Amino acid sequence: MNTRAISYELIVFVSQWGLMLLGFGILTKLVAPLDLLNPSLSLGLYFDAAIKALIALVLSVAWLFIWDRQVRLFFRKRGK
Amino acid sequence: MASLGANTVAILIALASFPVSLALTRFFMYWNFKHGIIGIDVHKPNRPKVPEMVGAAVPITLILFAAIYALTGGASAIPILAYSLVVGLAALVGAVDDRLKMRGIFKPLLTLFCGLPILILGFGYPGQVYTSTLHVPLFGGYHLPVIYPLTILVAISVTSNTVNMLDPLNGSMAGGISIVAGGLLIGSLLIGAGSMPVFLYASLLFSLLGFLYYNRFPARAFAGNVGQLSIGASIGALAILGKTEIASIVAIFPNIQNSFFFLSRIRRFTEHRELTSKPTKLLPNGRLADSEDPRAPLTLVRTLLIGRPAPENEIVSTIWTLFLTSTSLAVITLLLTGA
Repeated sequence: MNTRAISYELIVFVSQWGLMLLGFGILTKLVAPLDLLNPSLSLGLYFDAAIKALIALVLSVAWLFIWDRQVRLFFRKRGK
Repeated sequence: MASLGANTVAILIALASFPVSLALTRFFMYWNFKHGIIGIDVHKPNRPKVPEMVGAAVPITLILFAAIYALTGGASAIPILAYSLVVGLAALVGAVDDRLKMRGIFKPLLTLFCGLPILILGFGYPGQVYTSTLHVPLFGGYHLPVIYPLTILVAISVTSNTVNMLDPLNGSMAGGISIVAGGLLIGSLLIGAGSMPVFLYASLLFSLLGFLYYNRFPARAFAGNVGQLSIGASIGALAILGKTEIASIVAIFPNIQNSFFFLSRIRRFTEHRELTSKPTKLLPNGRLADSEDPRAPLTLVRTLLIGRPAPENEIVSTIWTLFLTSTSLAVITLLLTGA
C-alpha cells in the first residue's frame, strides 16, 4: 500500500474537514446574525438571504480552491 | 436506545438483502454475458471480457426490500416511495446510458430529474419526506425554506455522478460505498436516528456486499452506469431522508476529490471512454502507472500512482483505506451534529 500517498490524502481530508467546520462556524456565528438589509423593505428578507447565500457560495469556492492547491502541492509537484 | 428493538428488526430485514443481491448479481452475470452485454477489463494484460450492467442487481434489491419494509409497517410509505423512485429513476438513466452510450453532458442533466420524487412528495406531504432545516456540526442549524428544496435536485445529480466517476478499478466503487453506508449506519445508530434511515443504510450496505462478492478483484461482474448512478442516487436520497447531509458529503470526500480534479482539468462533462489523454497506463508486468500525460486529469487513482506503479488490487485497497478515513470523519461529524 502506498503509505506516503495515503498520508498526503489524509492530510488533505482532515484539513478540508476542519476548514468545513470552520466555514459553518463563520456562517452561523458571524454571517447569519448580520442585518444586511432592513427587513421592513419590500423583498428585504429575500435579498438579505440571497446575500448571505452568496457569502456561503464564496466560502465554498474558497474551500475548493484550497483543496485544489493542497492536492497540486502534494501530488503534481512531487510527480515531476 | 429506546428504539433499539425497531432498529434490530430493521437491520435483520436488511440483512436478507445480501443473499438476494448475491443471487440477482449471479443471474445478471449469466444473462448479460449470454446476450452480449459485456465490457473489457482494460486494466488486465489479457483484457478479459466481463458481463456489464450487472450492478442492476443493487437497485432492484434496494427497491424490493424498501417495499417489504414499508409493507411490514417499519416505515411510512411516503418517504420509502420517494427513495424507491429516486433509485429507480437513476437506474433507468444509467441503463439508457449503458445501452445508447449518451454524450457526457446528458447524465448530469437527466439525473437532475431523479430528485423530483423527493421534491414533489415533500411538497405533497410536508414534513414526511424532508425538512428544510440543515443541521451542521457544532453550530446548530439553518432553516432554508427556499434553498433546501432546490438543492435536492442538484444533490441527487452530484452524488449519482460523483459515484459514477470513481469506479475505474475492480471493486473500487462497491467497496468504497459499502464503507460509506456501513459508517453512516453506525453513525445513525449512535445518534439514535429513526429506524427508517437505519434500515435504508443497512439495506444499501448488504446489497452492495452481495454485488461486491463478484465485483471484487479480479472482477467477474461490472456495475455499469445502471449500478453506479442508482447507488450514488441512493446515497444522495439517504442524506436527505436520513438528515445526514453534511456527514454524507464528508464520507464521499474521495469521490468529490476525484470528480473535482477531473472536471477542473477537462472543463466539461465527458465520458472516460471519450478521453484522448488517459490518467493511467498499464505496464507490461500488469502494474498500473501514472501516464505522465500533462493533459490528463489528476484523478484519485493517478495521485496514488505518482512515482510508484502498483498492482490493481493494491490501489483498490488504498482507495478503501481513504474511504475508511473519510467515513470515520463522517461518523465524528454525525456525532457532532446530533440527531
